[in-house]
Amino acid sequence: MSGVARAVREKVEPGLRTAWEVTLPDHAEVVKVSPDGTRVAAAAVSGPIEILDAQSGASLARPAGHRMGTTTLAWSPDGRLLVSGGQDGRVRAWDGVTGEPVRELDAGHPWVTAVAWSGDGRMLATAAGRELRVWGTDGDMRAGWTNAASSISDIGWKPGSTILASSGYGGLTLARPGGDKPPRVFEWKGSVLALLWSPDGRFIATGDQDSTVHFWYAQSGRDLQMWGYETKVRDLAWDATSRYLATGGGSEVVVWDCSGKGPKGSTPKMLQTHQSFVSALAYQHAGRLLVSGGFDGLLGLWAPNRTRKALATLEVDGAVSRLAWAPDDHWIAVGSSLGSVARLDVA
Amino acid sequence: MTPPSVPQIEYQPEPAPVDDRVPVTVLTGFLGSGKTTLVNRILTEQHGKRIAVIENEFGEVGVDQELVIGAEEEIFEMNNGCICCTVRGDLIRILGNLMKRRDRFDAILIETTGLADPGPVAQTFFVDDEMQARLRLDAIVTMVDAGHIDQHLGVEREAKEQIAFADVILLNKTDLVDAQRLDDLERRIRGLNSAARVHRTQQAAVDLDHILDVGGFDLSRALEVDPAFMEPEYPFEVVSLYELPMGSYELVLDPGPDPTMNVLLGALERADAAAVDERLMERVLAFSDEAFWVRSGEGIAPGRGLHRLTLAPEPMRFTVMVDPGGVFGLYTEHRPDEYGLRLVGPDGPVEPVDRLEYAPQHQHDREIGSVGINVPGEVDADRFQEWMRVLLREKGTDIFRSKGIVAVKGDPNRFVFQGVHMLFGGTADRPWGEGERHSSMVFIGRNLDREALVSGFTACLA
Repeated sequence: MSGVARAVREKVEPGLRTAWEVTLPDHAEVVKVSPDGTRVAAAAVSGPIEILDAQSGASLARPAGHRMGTTTLAWSPDGRLLVSGGQDGRVRAWDGVTGEPVRELDAGHPWVTAVAWSGDGRMLATAAGRELRVWGTDGDMRAGWTNAASSISDIGWKPGSTILASSGYGGLTLARPGGDKPPRVFEWKGSVLALLWSPDGRFIATGDQDSTVHFWYAQSGRDLQMWGYETKVRDLAWDATSRYLATGGGSEVVVWDCSGKGPKGSTPKMLQTHQSFVSALAYQHAGRLLVSGGFDGLLGLWAPNRTRKALATLEVDGAVSRLAWAPDDHWIAVGSSLGSVARLDVA
Repeated sequence: MTPPSVPQIEYQPEPAPVDDRVPVTVLTGFLGSGKTTLVNRILTEQHGKRIAVIENEFGEVGVDQELVIGAEEEIFEMNNGCICCTVRGDLIRILGNLMKRRDRFDAILIETTGLADPGPVAQTFFVDDEMQARLRLDAIVTMVDAGHIDQHLGVEREAKEQIAFADVILLNKTDLVDAQRLDDLERRIRGLNSAARVHRTQQAAVDLDHILDVGGFDLSRALEVDPAFMEPEYPFEVVSLYELPMGSYELVLDPGPDPTMNVLLGALERADAAAVDERLMERVLAFSDEAFWVRSGEGIAPGRGLHRLTLAPEPMRFTVMVDPGGVFGLYTEHRPDEYGLRLVGPDGPVEPVDRLEYAPQHQHDREIGSVGINVPGEVDADRFQEWMRVLLREKGTDIFRSKGIVAVKGDPNRFVFQGVHMLFGGTADRPWGEGERHSSMVFIGRNLDREALVSGFTACLA
């Protein structure tokens, strides 16, 4: 009997259902779900920020954001603060519920590209132009340095560690802020657009301007370069097990398998449903499902470990700009180029 | 997965659909040429257009309806080692962000620093898919300070390159020099770039229609921008048309400014411009052949090819034997009137039926210049594409710009192309009109080999 029940359950694939939808005044540049799953923060490219109730989509607060545009958002791990950066060179911390301004930091350059909390919530890294700064929760700057080669395109803390990686033209820089060791530089003569640590901290994956993906072994600094993408690669997503890396850079979602000897020489899985380039990717926090979004407005839900067919698809108006899974993996927050922000329940 | 290869030649047989991408103007020019004055005019004057300005440094932000963003001039080489893939990383970031906004701009102006190479800026719009999808590189506008450009042209490689790259040249601060000087400067500029449109300005006062949305990189509008485009340079300045019965003549010259002069006497079907046109490329090629050196007292013969006259400080006479008689063109490297050049027959001086001028009026630069090719007839599509592919691969570093309109055998539509260094794109344009079919193109760059370009292209003729 139980065998039959299992077979039936396997045939019922999850679907996507819109729970609510709101509209920002402009292109949804960032969409982030709070760590407790109760709120969704979203920023319009022109600057305004919304904090939304995750159940109803009701607006809880509207932090002013940044003149000239908001570029990045990050929830503190305890969910109490929402930090934003923008094209006014400022990083602002807002109360995560009321939206009241709490603190303002000078990122050192007018264009803030990224902000990232360390896993323990004790440090906030900000990248603006060539300036990388690390701040304590009291708002004091703990460390800061200037990237020699170019503006910093992305930053990321090693999971469970205080090592911070930053990327730009010329490769990656790894450093422990406040430590006495000089930063390690992983050199590559090209422009890195995005970096993402594997959850186990073994790899740093990068997406590059010249239509390549790199796997960097964080321990040795050795790298693998993957050629043949249709366009520049900006979207990367690791699955929870650190086995699969999903990448954009074309109209197909390319999934590399890093088990065993790693992705070197392997043939990736190619997932097809999008009619134009992939624009957003997100893996579940604990589960095996991947969601992809495209410039065509299509959303695809996938279980790449077992099938190359999309489990479900859904279309939004405009292009999909951002995707984020709720902490419980039951729903997805999606942003679009026309400014819509929606909650899609996976059931 | 295989490494990407460049360059790529895209032959699209169908005319392109209407282009609704936002036009981007790149403003180059040396420090002090007036770029800032022009940008300030654009930001403060009432012109009814919404224009985003990318400045070369972080300045003040947001003047009324315009948007001003500072840039970093970060030049990224792509990892495949091809010069054409040198791009401006900061522009990809800034413009990518700008294009997401609901705010729509009529035009975008990018100001570069004084010493900037326009190559990477231009290439950014062809190499990056996102840029190419949303934005259209419209024109490179180079500002020139009439009072100081002489100094710059003498020493700074960048000054010449900025002029060579341009679709539009603003000869600014014309109040600082006299008219004669301005004419000289304009000739010098034309010597570097025969295809650009030159506007003279004071205080950078120029009609915005001359610098925004002018279509400098628009395939089908390439010729609109280039008034001199159809007048490629020739190795002779004048063709004098004579009707000569059989007999012995003398070519008589007075001393002039040059030590030698190339001349060619060639038969023509008729004594009119169309007859000269029919044999124009043949004669251009003959001018690149080795010349017979001749001195005063020696002879010139029709159909014998190119002669190089050794010019003496006293009057010279060269014998010309015409047998049989007919219509002839006398192709001369310099203007006949500079030497009092005349043809004297058995019955006295013979007046030409007509004189056609091919004087480019350009002042030539040894390193940087333009080569124009204008040939009646059609090309073989395969040979032409192969020639361009190899040419741009091997010489693309030195060829800053290329553009042209080609008659392809078997295709009723004009084939138009545009290139920046090794990047090249071509498309089918409107159909040819009655009797229009010919091929014209111009290459602008460093150390261009005119003869090689002309003969390479001629070999593609069907």
